[in-house]
Amino acid sequence: MTSFLGWSGFQWIDVLAGIMSVLVMVDAFIGHYRSGFAVRAQYLPFASGVAVLISSVLTMLAPRQGWVLQSLLITGGIAVVAGVIGAGYHHYFGITSKPGGYGWLLHHVMYHAPPLAPLALSAVGALAMIAAKGLAGSRGVFGIPLRLAALCVVAATLLGAALQAATLHYRGAFNNPLMYAPLTTPVLAAAAILGLIITRAHWVLLAVAVLCWATLLVGFVGLGMHLRGFDRMMGGLRVALPNILEGPAMTAPALFAGFAAAGLATLYLL
Amino acid sequence: MSITNSAPASATLVALEPERAPPDTGVIISARGALRSLAFGAPLHPILVHYTISLTSASLLFDLLGRLLHARGLAAAAWWTLALGVIATVATLATGVASRLGLDIGEGEARSYLRLHMALGPTFFGMLSATAIWRARLWQAGREVGWWYLAALAVTVAVMTAQGYSGGELVYRWGANVQGRYRDLRQRHASAPPPRLPGAVSNRAPLREGAR
Repeated sequence: MTSFLGWSGFQWIDVLAGIMSVLVMVDAFIGHYRSGFAVRAQYLPFASGVAVLISSVLTMLAPRQGWVLQSLLITGGIAVVAGVIGAGYHHYFGITSKPGGYGWLLHHVMYHAPPLAPLALSAVGALAMIAAKGLAGSRGVFGIPLRLAALCVVAATLLGAALQAATLHYRGAFNNPLMYAPLTTPVLAAAAILGLIITRAHWVLLAVAVLCWATLLVGFVGLGMHLRGFDRMMGGLRVALPNILEGPAMTAPALFAGFAAAGLATLYLL
Repeated sequence: MSITNSAPASATLVALEPERAPPDTGVIISARGALRSLAFGAPLHPILVHYTISLTSASLLFDLLGRLLHARGLAAAAWWTLALGVIATVATLATGVASRLGLDIGEGEARSYLRLHMALGPTFFGMLSATAIWRARLWQAGREVGWWYLAALAVTVAVMTAQGYSGGELVYRWGANVQGRYRDLRQRHASAPPPRLPGAVSNRAPLREGAR
């Protein structure tokens, strides 16, 4: 196992899990604030996200402490469960209980609770669990080698995020050609990762590296374009609260960059 | 003797309106007033952009010279300036967003520049982060930078230049976060022409007269 700037691959994955827990919480807060925190379970992603964040920071400070790694493993597991529960809530309150139900599926997934967004918290939790297991010296999690598990989490998350972005960019009528970017590069990166898991060929490894770098850049470009999106609305960020509530998802594109970085850390350091 | 200049009249005025605060003339006469006048959100952004620009440009120059002259000291300086550039850019982005939150700007050409500026900021930061990771790997391995790396950093610097240009247009052509900061202009309507400062000589009037 190699290190980068003095930190191992698992430490970098822990850092990324901590950063992405903040990104997930920001978008969750905006969405749940918009709906007025009508259900108490809407506080769950913050309780879980803050727990992952604290454990992640503690792991950065003391990566050899047993109880710290145990807390990262437990809070990561809680985040996985919280994300799945959240997906259930989003499905029920966003689609099933709405007028028309599945008959109006496209409308509901576009205009109500984003059905796949809570699973980002699960993915962050899964990365935290992998980091905890790796730093504790384990070779696998649930019988799966850690490198393989990390690649599977990154590929699945990139596919899910691309699907969610496709829904919301369709709602935005793809009014800018760059809105197609999250439907191309991350999907190809996920496909290449799956190809690498199956074939382990050198050229596929090279393709995964190139596509993960491209996805990382796409994430930052998306962040800038979403900022620009806020400013296309009346008043722009000068009228911050309503435009952030009604505009594009604030930190969602950064998750592409974060998971691509996790993929690169897995490729180069694990 | 006029009434307004007489001492008893002033005293009567104060006595009649004891609750009214002294008029805000915009002149700072105390340290407390000076501290109160500081507004940290907007003015920090134009300061910090210079760190981003200088550190990133210096890194490219050091690496280019280090590559041509095979000077290891210059290569080390290039890595550290780039690393510091990334840290400075985080603060630059944060203060940029804070500046935008306080900027009252209507729809028009200036707003288009602003949107370009906002879109390019995180894009540049992503490119800078990617090249910094690349540079860190080279530095860690003790290897000399290649021409591909230099080309990537040159493209990043080109994006930074476009970003700096759009920011410069916003400030120097459109007066974004400049005019609004003058305390004397607080009651001026946004569509009114900017008033001349006392004693200032306009650049435009003599030129027009000369042309005639």
